[in-house]
Order: sequence, then structure tokens, then C-alpha cells
Amino acid sequence: MGHYNILKSVQEDEEMSDIELYLFEVDKNKDEAQRIAAQSVSRLEAKTLKLIDLITSLEPYINDKDDGSIRAKTVTYLADVLSSLPARVLSGQERRLLCDFILGRIEGDAEGIGASARALTALEGMGKWDVATIQNVMRTFIENTHPLRQYKLQTERYALVQLIDLLLAKYRDALRQLHESDHEFMPGFISYFEGEKDPRNLMIIFSLLQVPMTEWDIHANAQDLFDSVFNYFPITFKPPPDDPYGITAQDLKDRLRDCIAANSDFAPYAFPQLLDKLDSTSMNTKRDVLHTIQACVVGYEAKTINLYSVTLWDALKFEILNVQEEDLAVESLKALGLIAAKFAESAEGPLNAYLRPIIKECNEHLEDAPTKQSEAAGRILHALASSAPAVADKIAKGILPVLFSLYNGSQSITKRRGLLEALNEIVAAYVKLDEVRPDLNVEALQAFASDALEAMIRALLHAPRAEVSFRLASLKGLSQLVSIRKALSEKETERAVDAITNIVLHEQIEGHGNIRAQAIEALTGVAHSVPLVVRDRSVPAFMVELPDEPSDVSAQAPVLEAFAYLSTERQVFDTVVLRLKNKYGSARHQEAPKTYQRSLLLALLYAFTFGAPMQEDGITRSTYYTEYAEPLLTDIASSGQGELEHSTLDVIGRIVNVLFRPQGAHFQSTVYNKNLQWLSSAVKDKAEAVSLAPFTLQYYAAIRPEVVDAEDLVSVLKAQSHLARQTTSDPGAIGTVLRHISLLVNKFVNPKTMQATLEASNIEVGALLSGTPAPQAIGAAFAVVKGLLIQGKSGALATRYLQALLELLASEGKDVGRHFATLLAPDDILSKENHCLVSGLYKQKIFNQAVPFMIEAVRTADTSIKPNYLIALSGILRWLPYSVIEPSLQSLIAPLLQTLDLNEPGEQEVKASALIIFESLLMHDPTVVAEHTASLVTRLLNSTTGPANNASVRAKALQCLALAPRQLKREAVVPYRRQVVKKLQACLDDTKRSVRTEAVKCRTAWLGLDEGNDDDE
Amino acid sequence: MDADKDNANPTILNPSDLPSRRRSTPAAKRPGIFDALAPAYPRLAEPPSSPEPSSASSDSDPDSDREEIDSQEIYDLISTISDPEHPLSLGSLGVVTISDIRITPPPSPRSRISTVTVLVTPTTSACSLTTVIGLGIKVRLMNALPPRFRVDVRIKEGTSRTADEVNKQLADKERVAAAMENLSLVGVVRTMLATCE
Repeated sequence: MGHYNILKSVQEDEEMSDIELYLFEVDKNKDEAQRIAAQSVSRLEAKTLKLIDLITSLEPYINDKDDGSIRAKTVTYLADVLSSLPARVLSGQERRLLCDFILGRIEGDAEGIGASARALTALEGMGKWDVATIQNVMRTFIENTHPLRQYKLQTERYALVQLIDLLLAKYRDALRQLHESDHEFMPGFISYFEGEKDPRNLMIIFSLLQVPMTEWDIHANAQDLFDSVFNYFPITFKPPPDDPYGITAQDLKDRLRDCIAANSDFAPYAFPQLLDKLDSTSMNTKRDVLHTIQACVVGYEAKTINLYSVTLWDALKFEILNVQEEDLAVESLKALGLIAAKFAESAEGPLNAYLRPIIKECNEHLEDAPTKQSEAAGRILHALASSAPAVADKIAKGILPVLFSLYNGSQSITKRRGLLEALNEIVAAYVKLDEVRPDLNVEALQAFASDALEAMIRALLHAPRAEVSFRLASLKGLSQLVSIRKALSEKETERAVDAITNIVLHEQIEGHGNIRAQAIEALTGVAHSVPLVVRDRSVPAFMVELPDEPSDVSAQAPVLEAFAYLSTERQVFDTVVLRLKNKYGSARHQEAPKTYQRSLLLALLYAFTFGAPMQEDGITRSTYYTEYAEPLLTDIASSGQGELEHSTLDVIGRIVNVLFRPQGAHFQSTVYNKNLQWLSSAVKDKAEAVSLAPFTLQYYAAIRPEVVDAEDLVSVLKAQSHLARQTTSDPGAIGTVLRHISLLVNKFVNPKTMQATLEASNIEVGALLSGTPAPQAIGAAFAVVKGLLIQGKSGALATRYLQALLELLASEGKDVGRHFATLLAPDDILSKENHCLVSGLYKQKIFNQAVPFMIEAVRTADTSIKPNYLIALSGILRWLPYSVIEPSLQSLIAPLLQTLDLNEPGEQEVKASALIIFESLLMHDPTVVAEHTASLVTRLLNSTTGPANNASVRAKALQCLALAPRQLKREAVVPYRRQVVKKLQACLDDTKRSVRTEAVKCRTAWLGLDEGNDDDE
Repeated sequence: MDADKDNANPTILNPSDLPSRRRSTPAAKRPGIFDALAPAYPRLAEPPSSPEPSSASSDSDPDSDREEIDSQEIYDLISTISDPEHPLSLGSLGVVTISDIRITPPPSPRSRISTVTVLVTPTTSACSLTTVIGLGIKVRLMNALPPRFRVDVRIKEGTSRTADEVNKQLADKERVAAAMENLSLVGVVRTMLATCE
């Protein structure tokens, strides 16, 4: 009928108005309709259309008696036009008229209500409304469109809710006056939203309701207002997959929680209902309840919480005393702490009333310590005491007298341990407060600090060593007490530090009862809070145990390790390294055993690597280099050849490296030029060069590339290449030299002149490999290629060289195959910290260039040389992340299975790496191996027994085999069950314990297959 | 809920007081904190110049030093079994202790059969689930030990009122086999063993 009307008017009138065109298009072509509305906008702007004419043109349609949808579409047109109309086009009067026009419509006709709301929203955007308009708009909507749920379209309701939200956000006073002057307003307003279910609308409703909830006096309407939101509790909303609005259940929960916690007047309704829901069997509901209780405690006034504090304690304690889910206990503890914190800010009475029953009950639980309940009591006391100094004070006063009388009244170590653990919980709360609350009063703790100290020191020094947990509790207690300012007197602090130091230095217990590691940790912690005491008492005690010239070096090792570990605390770092340096100086001077000297250097290296040296602009201070590395360099320069052992030079090199490499180019350049002369003259002598190799490698690794000039470089590279090709040197030294070559090639050689430089230095790979290359030449070639591949800047050259190496596999023996493992092996020299060039893609590149070639070679090669390829392939795959291998799994399975058939002792590593790949495969892509189940299971089984397989291969094979029943389809593995379970009996009796452990796990996994069977039948 | 349990609030041993192999390894054998600082690089580039299978295998895998199955190993196998009524391990409840595990070597040189005896201490003398616990331990050990071991699980003397009856059941092969046919019992045992590695 509507269409008929329009068509008629089309025939009657040549020139159609915009509304007519709009109505004609709106159902067929939304974009065109929008364009028409936009056209009206521009005409209004250009004043070619008067507002009054536009409104008049709407008359027949907006009042269409027969067709509601025509009326609705007409309002939509009006809303579309107003929404895109710039603010200045309409005068204030025109806007007022329009507003009245729209509101007047609503009273008689609810069609197009969403559009009406949009139109009003647009009008409001053109200029602020006065109080009367605001109240009028609100009243009109609440009276004429109540309840919201009568509108079936979410978009319509959404527009209404948005308008109301806008009013509440911008015109709080006007609406509050409306509420205060009209007591009938609020009930209508509250019930207006009843029954809304759409999450998008609810997000806004929960938000707008917070205005009256937090800002208005709603005492009389509290219950209704509360119920209107609590009806939604708990939120069980699950967003549809690919939800375009992105509203999560958590978003709704957060807003709903803010509503519930918004006004203290809700408390009489909120707490009983929340506690009722705390008995729910759903963990998610309980979680929501606990979060909401926390929010209420924060949001409501203290005097309100006071009415419910003991009720809350009685309910919440069960979640802690009988833990169902750990996170529920944690949330309950948090709620209890928040209540205490609330009272701590206000009057003392409510706090006392709250804490009295808690202290009483915790004291009762402590009587039976140690039990689950006494442990829970400790947690409760910790949570409460951490909340505020005033609470900690009352807890200490209420608990400590009872705790210590129980402690002194019992001789049972188990009981005392339980009590000490509870005490530690309270003290730990003091530690936390001490860090953040300068107003912490420790008097109540102080009153018992001496008792606690005595008990702990006695336990630490005199309790049977097997009572590990008792002694550990004492150790923890001592370090906590020390770290609270003013808890202990100076003398007491010293005694505590002495007791801990004593264990670190003098307790020598093998096996069960050894708590040295924890004592070292504790001493380091203590060094943070009382560095002076540690410096004055512990450090000298350590020094006594570290003579300049020890008779038994191995006895010093644990002391030295502990001392080095102290350097992880910045407060004592400088003391530790200084003492170590002096100690090394005296040991060297007095010719102490070389291993002892090296240990002292290792301790220094540990301190500079893992300790906490002072920094400047984010890097280790250069003065450490000057004070610690330089003297070591001078020492090398002035020593005779061979005076310092390789292993010592290696450690010195590493100390120099770690201190030198972060320094800037300017600093480095000065140092480099200072050392250049003695270093280059020293390495001229071949024997000297070999003996210094471990040091020079680390030294060059530290230097920034721009510091070394090209000429120096070629001579260094030449020298190294010369050394590498010596047949007489020992393999260790050659290894160092080869790493040096990789470093130089990677970092210092300009990629543009790479080949020329390599030729000048006699290490051009083509030349190295020509004819029948010597093993030394092959080693040098691999070193060059490694440097190039990781650098990634000389792509074509690297590819050509790699190809040359691959071709060697056909003629040379397995040795060449083994070399391939060096290409990707992790190398702490070729690192970014050492200013090397490390391409992000080099692993992927090597894989692409080498692996397809190898797979093809394995397929076609003669059996005699096939192992060469398998070994080389494994050498590459071993170091690759699974993600790189993953796309090629299908073609890798055959060679990997053949690798498991290699049985020579020298090939265990190769086998182990194949097994590791199978393990990842079974974990991540079991479908790929599914069709090879038979051969995989057989080969894995063959790899589980000696003597052809070493212990780590056997263990890894069992780990893989254990994955099969879990990862592969049941019907694929069941046929092998009997065979596997039987064969594994032998593995249960393996000579190695680690293998037996894996055998038990593996066999359990296969036995488990049977259980599934029972279920089926 | 707790009222249904035979012992709602048992004493729990602290994990650090339980015996463990890691802690009883002599410190000398453990790696020091400096060991990783200056690693000896694997000489991948220098493979053994001539194959020396004998020395190579004894270096990397001294299979000759056999690590015998000892009571700590038995303890590790069974201490992680869960108690059927508490979510706690038998080790932490003190139901099994390392001192109540005994390994008896073969009685004569001709026999290969060793015996493992495990004495079980129920959490209360009236614990009605003692049989199930014993059964769980027995099943675990029969699956995890090589066949040259005979497994003997018993209730420690004076710790349970029903000890004799339970011991008789656990020693009787037929009855153990029959119990493992009982689906609900199998289910309980499976849950208990689920926490074993």
C-alpha cells in the first residue's frame, strides 16, 4: 500500500521532493537513500531548501494513518539528515522547534522511536540543552516508551539507550533535580531497562546506571536499583564466534561489578545474596562472587562494611581453610585483607571487632600446628597483616604471645616448625610493609624479636641436620628479621648474619640435610638490607677460608662459589670483586696451584658476568676495565711464553671480553692501539701465537669492527690461516684458531672485498679444497664458510662455497660429514654482543641450500657413502628450530629413519639428534609419521637397548616411544602393544637409572592402551 | 564433605623433608656454578682420527658401572601415588617411607629372584582404604620393576586394625588379579596412579 501511495505521487508530481525519493529507494538501495539524505543536507546548507519546507514535505508521510512503516522511515530520513547536518546551519529556535516536534510525535506514536532518539541525539550535538529540555526529553521517553523491551529491534533499543546515556553523562545536575523533585521518576527509570538481554545495550545500561547509583540519593530506591542489576549476576554470557562487537563476558562482569559496588545502600541486599552464591558448585560463580565482594569492600563506606565484617570472615575463611581451588583461596585472602585495610584508615573499633574472632580462631589452629589449618592460619595472618601497619601491629600483639608460649611449651620439632612457619608469614608481612610504609611501627614485633632470633639461631645451629624444613624455616625467618629496619638491635643483626655465614662457610653435610644453597641465597638477600654488616663480618670470614696458598684446592671451591654468588647483590659487588682481585694477585705472586689461580679468575668472571656491577648509561662502567682487565693484560704481556696455561688464558680472555666489549669505539680504540704493538710482536712467533690463542680470540671478539683497520686485519687473518694449516699443533689449539678465523671473516672483513681478502690471506675456499685437500684445509674451509653464512652479506660467495663443501661428501669420508655440525653449532663468539653480523635468516638459508641436496643424495647414494650424507644432514638438522624443519617433514622422514640404523659408537650424537626430531614430530605433527608407524616403532624399540646405543640414546628413544600411544591413533598403535610391553620389560632392568625411569613412563603409556579397551567393552 | 573422610586433617610432611636422590648426591659430583662460564668447546671439527670403539664407548657411556635399583628408586616410584581420599601423595602423607622399603637379594646364587618389601603406614588405624592403597602400590611396582623382582606389600605392624586381613588379600595373587577385574576398583587405582610420572 505504501508503495502504491508513493507511485501515485510520482505520477502526479513531476518534481519529487527528497522525502519522496528517499522513501522510494530506502528499501531497495540503502546507499542511494543515504545519498538523497545527503543531498537534502547540502540543500539546507546552501539555503536552497528551508527547514520549514522540509518539515512540511514530511507531513503526509510522517502522519500516514495506515502504514506505520512509512511513518518510521520518514523519521529515519529526518534522523539521517540531522545526523549529518553541520552545527551552524540551524538556529537555536529551529532546533527547539524540531525538538518539540519530535517529542510531540513520540507522545502519540512510537513508530521510528530509534530514529527519533537518533534525531534528538543529533540536535543535542548542535548545541547544549537547557534544564527544561533535558528533563522534558527524559520524562517523555520514560513515560512513553516504557518498557524498553517492547521494541524488538536491538538497534532501536540501542539508540534509546545511547540517548539516555548521553543525557546522564552531560546533564547530571538537571537529571538529579528531576529525581529529587519527582519521586515517581526513579521507579519508572529503574524498571525501564528491565529484561534487556543484548550485551551491547547492557554495556551501556550498566554504565549509565552508575550515575544515579554513585551520585544521587537513592536510599528509598536502593533495593529496586540493586535488584535491577543483580538479576544479571552471575554473567554467563559467551560471545558468539567471530563476534564483530568484541564484547567479552569479562567486560560485562567488570561493569556489573562496578554497579553492585557503587553504593553503600546496596550492602543489605548485596552481601547476603553474594554469600549465598558463594556456596555455588560452579567455580566461575564463586570467582565472580569473590571479585565482587572485593569491589564492594573497596566501594562501600567503612561503617557499612563494619556491619558485615564478621559475617564475611565466617564465610570467606572456608575457602582458605579447605582449599577447593587455589585461586579462590587467594581471592578470599585478598578480600579479607581489603576489609582490614578499610578499617585501618578509619576508627579503631571496627578493626578490633573484625580482628578479634580472626585472632582467636588462628590461635586455636596454631595449637595443633602443623596441620592444613595452621598453615591456612599463617596465610590469613599474612594477608591481614600486609594490609596496613595498624593491622600488622594488632595481629602481632594478638598472635605472638600465644605463638611463643606454644613454642616454648613444646619440645616437638615438627610442632615448632609449624609455629615458625606461621611466624614467618607474619614477619613477611612486616617486610612487605617496611618497603612501602614509612609509618610502620615495629614495636609489637620488636617485643618478640629477641625470642624469635634466639629460637631461630638455636634451630639453625643445634637442631638435627636432617630436620631440613625446620632449619629452612629458621633461615628464612632470620633473613626476614634482618631486612626489617629496627626490628633487631645492631648486635642481634650481627648474630643473625654470623649464623647464616657460619652455615655457608662451615657446614659440610653430604646429601640430605645440606642447606648451604639456601643459606647462600639468604646471605645474598641479607647483603641487600644490611650491606655494611655483611662487608664487616661475612666478607672477612670468607677471606679466612680463602688462603693465598691453599693446600687442598678442592676444599676452597664451595667457599669461592658462595663468595662469587654474593656479587649478584649490587650493594656488596665492589667489595667482592676487589677482594677476589687481591686474592688472585697474592696467589699468583706466591705461585699457588694453577687450578686455584684459575678458580679465583673464574670467580671474577662469574661476578662480572652474572653479578651486579655498577653501570653508567646502561653499560658496565669502563673503570672496571681499567682496574680489573688492564692489570691482567699487563701481566700477560710481561709473562714468558707458556707461563700462563691455556685454560687460564681462556678465562682471562673472557674477563677482558666481558668488560671491554660494551665500551664505546673511542675507549676501545685507545686500548686497542696501546696493546697493538706488544700483541703483534708477540704473535709473530708461531709458538707464542699458539699459546696466546685462547686469549687473542676473546680479545678480538670484544672489539668493535670500526676499531681495527684493514691492513692490520689482513696480517692477523694471514697469521691465523697459517696457524690453522699447521699439521703439528694440538687439536684444541686448532679449534681455537678456526673459531678466530670465523670471527675475523664475519666481523672485520668488508663483504665487498671478501673474496680478494680471503685470497690475500690464503684462505679462499676454492683454493683450500682444490686437489686432495688436507684435513687442516677442510677445517679452515668450514671455518670461513661458517663466518660467511652467519653474516649473510656475501650470499653468492657463501652459496658457492657451501656447494663445494657438499660435493666433498661424495669423495671424502665421514669426517667431512661431521664437520657440517660445526656450521650451525651455537657459538658464543659469533654473537651480536661481540659486534658480529648475525643474519636473522641464516638458519633458514642454510636449510634451503643444503638439506634438499642431502635428502636427494641419501636417496640415490651408494650404501657405502650414504652414511656420510646422513651424518652431514643430522649435523645441520640438530641445530635448527623445529619451525624451520616443519614444512619439509614429509621428505625428511625416510632419511631420519635410516639414521636410526647407524650403529657405530661414533654416531650416537647423530642418532640422538634424529630422535629429538622424532620427538618434536610426534608432539606437533603426529599425522606426518602415522603412515610410518610400523618402521618407527621397530626402530625406536631397537634403539632402546645397549650396547649399540648409549644411555642418552636409549632414554631418548624411550621418550619418543612413550609419545606414540598418546599422539597416534589408537588403532594404529594397538597392534604393537603386546610386543612393546614385552620388549620394555628388559629396559626396566637397564643398567642406567635415567633409562629405567624413562622405561617405566614409556611402559605405563603403552599399558594404558589396554584401559581404553576395557572402557569400550 | 570432610566429615566423610576417615581422617579429615592428616599431618602433612614438608616436601623438603622427604628423601630425594638429587639431594643425596654428593656435592663433589654436582656441577659448580663456574662450570658453564668457560665451557670446553665440543670438538666437532676434530672427530676421532682413528676409530677406537672401546675407549670411545667407555668415555661417553660407562655402561660398565651399573646403577643398581635401590630403595630410593622404589620410593620414587611409589611416593607420587595419590591418596584415594586426599589430593596428596603417599609420600607427603607418610604412608610410604624410605625406611620401610627393603630389597632382599636373591637367596641363593642359583636364584635370580630379588624381593622388594614395602610396609604401608595408613594415616589412621581405622583407615578403610588401606587395601586399595596397598593394591595401588602393588600394581605400580609390578608394572615398573623388571620381572626378576617379587613384590611384597604389607601393612606395617601395629598401624591398622585390619592389617592381617589386608595382608592376606595383598599376598594372594588370585585375589589381586580378581580385584583388578573389578571395574570400579580399577578406576580408583588408575586415578591414584595418574599422578605418577
